[in-house]
Amino acid sequence: MKQITKTLKYIRCATFNSILAATVIGLAACGKSSENTTTNNTVGGSTGETVKVGVLHSLSGTMAISETSLRDVLLFTFDEINAGGGVMGKMIEPVVADGASDWPNFAEKAKQLLLDDKVSVTFGCWTSVSRKHVLPVFERNKGLLFYPVQYEGEEMSPNIFYTAEALNQQAIPAVDYLLAAGKKKFYLVGTDYIYPQTTNLVLFQYLRSKGIAEEDIGGGLRKEGNKTIGAGKYTPFSHTDYQAIVAEIANFSAGGDACVINTINGDSNVPFFKEFAASGLTAEDCPVVSFSVSEDEFRSLPTKDLVGHLGCWTYFMSLDTPANNKFTKSFASWLADTDVTGIKKEDRVTCSPMVLSYNGVYLWKKAVEKAGTFDPTAVMKALEEGISFDGPAGPVTSQKNHHLTKNVYIGETRSDGQFKVVKSFEKVYGEPFLEGTFK
Amino acid sequence: MRNLGLIIPLLLAIFGLPAVAVSESIKVREKLAEAAISSEEKQIQILESLIESGDPFIAKVLIAWRRGELFLIEHEGSTIPVLLENADSKEPVKAFALKNGKVLNGKSGKKLTFVPSQQKAAETTRNLRAQIKKTTDLLAILNPNPKLRAEAAFKLGSQGKPEYLTALKNRETVEDNPKVLKKIKEGMAISQLRIGDEKQRIQAAVNLGELRCIASLDSLERIIREQEKLTKGEKNIDLIRETSKAIKIIEVHKDWVNKGQTVFRGINYGAVLLIVSLGLAITFGLMGIINMAHGEMIAVGGYSAYLMQKWMTGFFGPEALQWYFLLAIPFAFLAAATVGLLVERSVIRFLYRRPLESLLATWGVSMILQQCFRLYFGAANVQVNSPDWLIGSVSVGDMSFNYNRLFVIAFAAVIVLGTGLLMSKTSLGLSIRAVMQNRDMAASMGIRTSRIRMVTFAFGSGLAGLAGCFLSQIDNVGPEVGSKYIIDSFMVVVTGGVGNLLGTITAALGIGTADRMLEAWSDSPVVGKVLVLSAIIIFLQARPGGLFAANSRSLD
Amino acid sequence: MQLTASRLLMSHLIALAVFALVTLALVPLIYSSGGIANHDIQRYGKYLCWAALAVSLNLLWGYTGLLCLGQCVFFGLGGYAFGMYLMLNVGVDQVYKTALPDFMDFLGYTELPAHWKPFESFGFAVGAVIWVPGVMALIFGFLAFRSRITGVYFAIMTQALTYVAWILFLRNEFTFGGNNGFTDFKKILGANLYSHPHTSTNGKELLFFILSALLLIVTILLMIALTRTRFGKIQRAIRDSENRVRFSGYCTENFKLFIFTLAAIIAGIAGALWLPQAGGINGDVFLPRESLWVVVWVAVGGRGTIWGPVIGAILISALKSWAQREYENTWIIILGGVFLIIVLFLPGGISSLGKKLLGWIRICRSRTENFITNRKKKVDPNGDGEETLQ
Repeated sequence: MKQITKTLKYIRCATFNSILAATVIGLAACGKSSENTTTNNTVGGSTGETVKVGVLHSLSGTMAISETSLRDVLLFTFDEINAGGGVMGKMIEPVVADGASDWPNFAEKAKQLLLDDKVSVTFGCWTSVSRKHVLPVFERNKGLLFYPVQYEGEEMSPNIFYTAEALNQQAIPAVDYLLAAGKKKFYLVGTDYIYPQTTNLVLFQYLRSKGIAEEDIGGGLRKEGNKTIGAGKYTPFSHTDYQAIVAEIANFSAGGDACVINTINGDSNVPFFKEFAASGLTAEDCPVVSFSVSEDEFRSLPTKDLVGHLGCWTYFMSLDTPANNKFTKSFASWLADTDVTGIKKEDRVTCSPMVLSYNGVYLWKKAVEKAGTFDPTAVMKALEEGISFDGPAGPVTSQKNHHLTKNVYIGETRSDGQFKVVKSFEKVYGEPFLEGTFK
Repeated sequence: MRNLGLIIPLLLAIFGLPAVAVSESIKVREKLAEAAISSEEKQIQILESLIESGDPFIAKVLIAWRRGELFLIEHEGSTIPVLLENADSKEPVKAFALKNGKVLNGKSGKKLTFVPSQQKAAETTRNLRAQIKKTTDLLAILNPNPKLRAEAAFKLGSQGKPEYLTALKNRETVEDNPKVLKKIKEGMAISQLRIGDEKQRIQAAVNLGELRCIASLDSLERIIREQEKLTKGEKNIDLIRETSKAIKIIEVHKDWVNKGQTVFRGINYGAVLLIVSLGLAITFGLMGIINMAHGEMIAVGGYSAYLMQKWMTGFFGPEALQWYFLLAIPFAFLAAATVGLLVERSVIRFLYRRPLESLLATWGVSMILQQCFRLYFGAANVQVNSPDWLIGSVSVGDMSFNYNRLFVIAFAAVIVLGTGLLMSKTSLGLSIRAVMQNRDMAASMGIRTSRIRMVTFAFGSGLAGLAGCFLSQIDNVGPEVGSKYIIDSFMVVVTGGVGNLLGTITAALGIGTADRMLEAWSDSPVVGKVLVLSAIIIFLQARPGGLFAANSRSLD
Repeated sequence: MQLTASRLLMSHLIALAVFALVTLALVPLIYSSGGIANHDIQRYGKYLCWAALAVSLNLLWGYTGLLCLGQCVFFGLGGYAFGMYLMLNVGVDQVYKTALPDFMDFLGYTELPAHWKPFESFGFAVGAVIWVPGVMALIFGFLAFRSRITGVYFAIMTQALTYVAWILFLRNEFTFGGNNGFTDFKKILGANLYSHPHTSTNGKELLFFILSALLLIVTILLMIALTRTRFGKIQRAIRDSENRVRFSGYCTENFKLFIFTLAAIIAGIAGALWLPQAGGINGDVFLPRESLWVVVWVAVGGRGTIWGPVIGAILISALKSWAQREYENTWIIILGGVFLIIVLFLPGGISSLGKKLLGWIRICRSRTENFITNRKKKVDPNGDGEETLQ
């Protein structure tokens, strides 16, 4: 009996509570409805003196490591454009939303940017999974997204423009370089998600087409019948212990002429390279070419262990061109002056995804000016017709297939965490569909 | 002791550029200085001629050259090749002329200093780099350090070039270190396997089998593959037979080595688990607080190491990288303990009678701390360098043990021992145990329970800080460094039996070893982990209280 | 003046009726008149699903004393089961070359793996939404309860469970899309799942909102029923002292197993309804962090109350969604601070705020009527909710 009276005490105010719960939804709905009736429903509109532009990156959670830098460079670019008079006379008004490394949340925030804030264009996403989550949102609502990070390809959405490196602008040139340097054995290692899986599968096919034997491609193969559906060794996200894998690489490379193709994501590179260095392997015996390690990641890596290892990007901070010097200088002075909360001011660098974000904003500006409107469909059409921009890493030109023609650089890591360019390829055409094309 | 014998030359090899500069013969120096400013053809010629001198100093200069750390400075009207005191420095540093090893002086006799990044580095062309590599390779088998010599001998052999084979043969006659001798033999055998005539190749295969040379497996297997492609008449049956035999012997040997390595990896992974969960064994195990902020205390430790490194290198220059870590250890403990103290006073002390809510409150604390790290240190991870004495490995037979992994085990042993002694031998430990077992009784005996709990929580947090400081050597330092380990830590404490340090130790080592063995067996880190966690769930079926459950007659 | 049981029942039912009226009549009405945008009704639908998830955890934690730190395992399993059906109905797209789910296409699969085939049937998928989480809970619960794993041990074990699920589902070889997971759903039973263009209402957004509301109403009815039946009394008795119940001759394991499975099924259905409204799912739904959020909803709302979890889930989610846009750098600190304060100063959660307020109001009112009688019956705000865990 005592139990019942206890419970009764507990829920004495049930009526109050339940009405509270019911009205939360009701109120929210009513609030929204009044707001919605007063604004028009066209996406891509701009009102008054400003044009709204969305920024959708993770500022918290695991991906914040990489994505906050992109937020910073975007805000910088907007200020730079605004200082020069804006886009078609309108000032850019950024709307920043935190994706919070939570993928359904990316979709929700994308919807809000498109439908509530009515942004003309969105710059955002880093991981493939976040892009996959917002893709249907942009397609259904006829939005426009600029995606700046190297990715696996096999995709061409009508509403996404990929300033990112396609596989033939990063992985393939890097492998070509290694083949030319006389490497005969390739060990593939990556984090288990779609980018490394697809990249390694494409590279496997490419290497086979170049006459490398299956036994000389390390890390393991996965087969369905006779067809190889997976190549390489994969570790889960945030994996910290690479002893076994590095030991395997040491065995693999003992015969000489070996190299490692590294698609390990973000922070797992630190334990990987620490283990690699600790076990006595060096860039001379067995160079590692990494596709996810840029200058920004070097900030947290023990660079003296990394000297001589390779990177392949479409931009390096160390490029000694007037355009790049101007870019790095103005970014540095903007960082020093900015008062936006959460922006770190010391030890900042620039890297390829940042520059591709920067290029994206300018390409969008030029496309808007060419189309004469902020309407995403018209802007995309203008982009498809080909727009060029002289970016920090040289000229980039938009292509009909929503990718960019750009220069590709291969660099060797220096002890100061910068790359020394050892080879460059001019104006490489971005080709997203590669899987199954090498025979 | 053997480690020390290796560490010192290693240290010298990497950091001793200016230090040993004086002892080198002037002739070698002059030649090098001449090479630095010559044409490519002449450069290659000079390097070729330098090989026979066997002076390890040449290799150091050449490596610096290849890295772009040999600088050309315009001085008094001529171009002088110099080495800088520290090529990574952002501050001006002294320059040593390559010609004579002397510090470059200005007109007034004042020492000149230069900022490395603003100086012109000596260029290297592709051909020159190839020659540099060849020269350093050949010089390496003359290196006074036997470990480096052995490595070099093997590398030379595996390149399969006749001139290297000759160099090895010459060296074999004078070499007296048995380890190096073995490597030279292996290298020669591999060379012969590639470039020798049929008879030499068969003999080489037999030799490799006898030497149990794991690294030659690849070459041997290539022989088999090549032979299989040939027609029946062309095949060399003897070679195939001997090679297969050798492969079989080596495979068996390799299997054993791998097993040994796996056990070692298991033990050191267990030690890592032990280090990260020891703090939790105190805060959760002894105090009963479901401490979700444990991971952030680990992060505090990691950031302490980073700060200490920043301060010390800022103050004493880059040499501090070698010893800052020793200071970082106590600092990390104190920093994390202080944070723990603040958290205990402001939040946890209100929740001792509501343990489940401590889970929620500490999770809130952990979210807040994590975002604070992100805002203060930036979202990116920070860079923490390892001292050189933690890089490298010592090998026993074909098994190699990395110094940092050996250090884990020692570190774990020390902190466990320290904690154990504190708990069992000091009056503070006695009070802690009393309060944790029965607070009211302890209070009535005159122990100030509130203060003891404060100290205990701070101590547990400090241990987590130590873990973070240590993790900075093998892992990232970033906002989320600790939260990765939190589940593992809880599993260790629960499996060991809540409130029992011995249980924690056994569980950590057991889980670590099992995990690595299953990883090796299944060839996948994920499968290993899933199997271990499933095994723990099943294990707790049998022993719901963990390995060392406290016996009690009380119910609920 | 105690509320009688029947008056209490009445007040619950009235509240439920109000809730039903708002969600099943008012919101659809505004929606069809164009007052609520498609993406907003999806967001409200998601909140309702989360509320149902919170109620299912409350059934375990609030009423039975079993703290499950892995409730999202069942939520996610339900979502994945239904997602498999939706993925198979994406069809041949202009980008994807085959009718296979996109990730299989990437990895060069040429045909559907055998365990995917039954999910082409809608009926099977809906069935799986119920039985997959159910069977999972039955197995795990059987193992856990049989050996009397309770309290903290149970909490940590369930956290390990969700961790295992996380690393498994992120694996590409596990054939559930790895880190990319399931996205870009298009059709359900041949009809368009989402409105196109976005201003029209020819999609199924409203339907899923109503289904989510119905799920929540049914689970709350179930809760109300449980507080009144004999079963519910035993359940709460287990929370307060399991051993006494056992000594009274009840097999507490079976009770707990039943409740655990029931809660898992509710969570699974909530997950399935959540998925089309969220637009995608990947392994991160199994992150321990996600399940901890559910615990926070329940604790903040008020555990062991009928409406607390609903309030907690909706308020916290709405606050989070709002703050992520307004305070993109500091929202975590704000949220963490909010529930630190609630845990420290309002142990009964937001529901007890109402109770406290009502208590004060009643005191003021009755003071004018009869000062002395009320003083004896003054409510102790922290008198209950004793921990059963140690």
